[in-house]
Amino acid sequence: MADLIITGKMKLSEIVESDKRALVLFPRFGIELGFGDITVTEMCMKLGIDLQFFLLMANTFLNPEYFPDRKLKDVDVDMLINYLVESHNYYLEERIPYLKGLIRDFKKNVDHPAVEQLEKFFDQYIDEVKDHLSYEDETAFPYMAMISSYKKKSGRLGQVDYSVQVFEERHDNIEEKLSDIKNLLIKYFPPANDRYIRIRLINELIDFEEDLINHARIEDKVLIPVVRQLEKQVKMP
Amino acid sequence: MGKSILIAEQSEIIRKGLVQVIGNTNLFDSINEIHAASNLPAAVKRYDPDILIINPLFITPDLAVWLKEKRNANMRVTAFVYNIFDDDLRELFEDVIQVGDGRNKIKKKLAALLMLPTESIHNGNADILSVREKEIVRLLAQGLNNREISEKLFISPHTVNTHRKNITRKLDIRSVAGLIVYAIINDIVTVEELQQ
Repeated sequence: MADLIITGKMKLSEIVESDKRALVLFPRFGIELGFGDITVTEMCMKLGIDLQFFLLMANTFLNPEYFPDRKLKDVDVDMLINYLVESHNYYLEERIPYLKGLIRDFKKNVDHPAVEQLEKFFDQYIDEVKDHLSYEDETAFPYMAMISSYKKKSGRLGQVDYSVQVFEERHDNIEEKLSDIKNLLIKYFPPANDRYIRIRLINELIDFEEDLINHARIEDKVLIPVVRQLEKQVKMP
Repeated sequence: MGKSILIAEQSEIIRKGLVQVIGNTNLFDSINEIHAASNLPAAVKRYDPDILIINPLFITPDLAVWLKEKRNANMRVTAFVYNIFDDDLRELFEDVIQVGDGRNKIKKKLAALLMLPTESIHNGNADILSVREKEIVRLLAQGLNNREISEKLFISPHTVNTHRKNITRKLDIRSVAGLIVYAIINDIVTVEELQQ
């Protein structure tokens, strides 16, 4: 399912058929399932979504090779932040609680002293993810929104303590520990008559890991270059 | 990582003979020798050997205490025997090499002590790691950082770092929290030890 380029003429249902990871994108744009044969363009018109923006997000998210450079100058930062915050909410309210439940199921069914520790590890990890996301929501994004508002009113910004450079340096991999948990379950946890519970858990970890990597790619390839561009236009030299 | 061995033996003829035979096994990048028991702790600290091969006649009661402590944490110890030796000392050694042992037998014994992957891969999970690596995982699990580990094991921080890189590469686990779970699964550490 690699390297599909999504265009406005495609049906939403076709996109899902060819790449199921697209499913998580829809709620972030307020698109609900049950959309029949509607195309991307039609849906965007119906919901007032910027078509180019939708295509940029979807293609960057689904395709690691996609280089959005040419289209970056038209990106609206507020829209982008909105999208990213929606993704964060999805992780916090949907994905993480679900994973937590799966780990609890695993723990209930596996009698091994290491399971307790695995759950602790996961909880620690979740705290780190939450810190990471709330740093973005509370510090990085408000700064970016401010830069964007200065740009919109053609204002010039004086001295500020923050820059996208700081964000970039702090933007660490939150998927690393997830990969440790996954490897522990695949390679090291002894067999424990847990077949399907463990498979379900591993599946979900793999999906979540991939989702985070794709998400980070949008921040690295779209958000950071776009804001850096804005900074040049808005900040006093 | 190059393996190193330290030979502790009074007789020069025998010591040089051991250096020669052990050199031919190609198991070690570094072979060091000492001839006086009083130098042993300093030499172990300096060379940080994976294996100590020692004449049991070297061993004084003080040295026996020291050796017991060192053995599990830091290095494997084997006796080299060409004389009668006190049976009580046997427990100090993980293996005994006899003067009559041939080249292949010596190589086999030393390789087993090093737990080389070819010898150990079928013994289950924990044997992926060397004795020293397991020790480092254990100390990490107990909450020690790299500097504390280097002090405790009398090795340089650089060496600790190299071990940690090797552990990560072998296990595909990068975080300390992940290593803790691994260590419990493989009985390298118990849950009780963690809570200390």
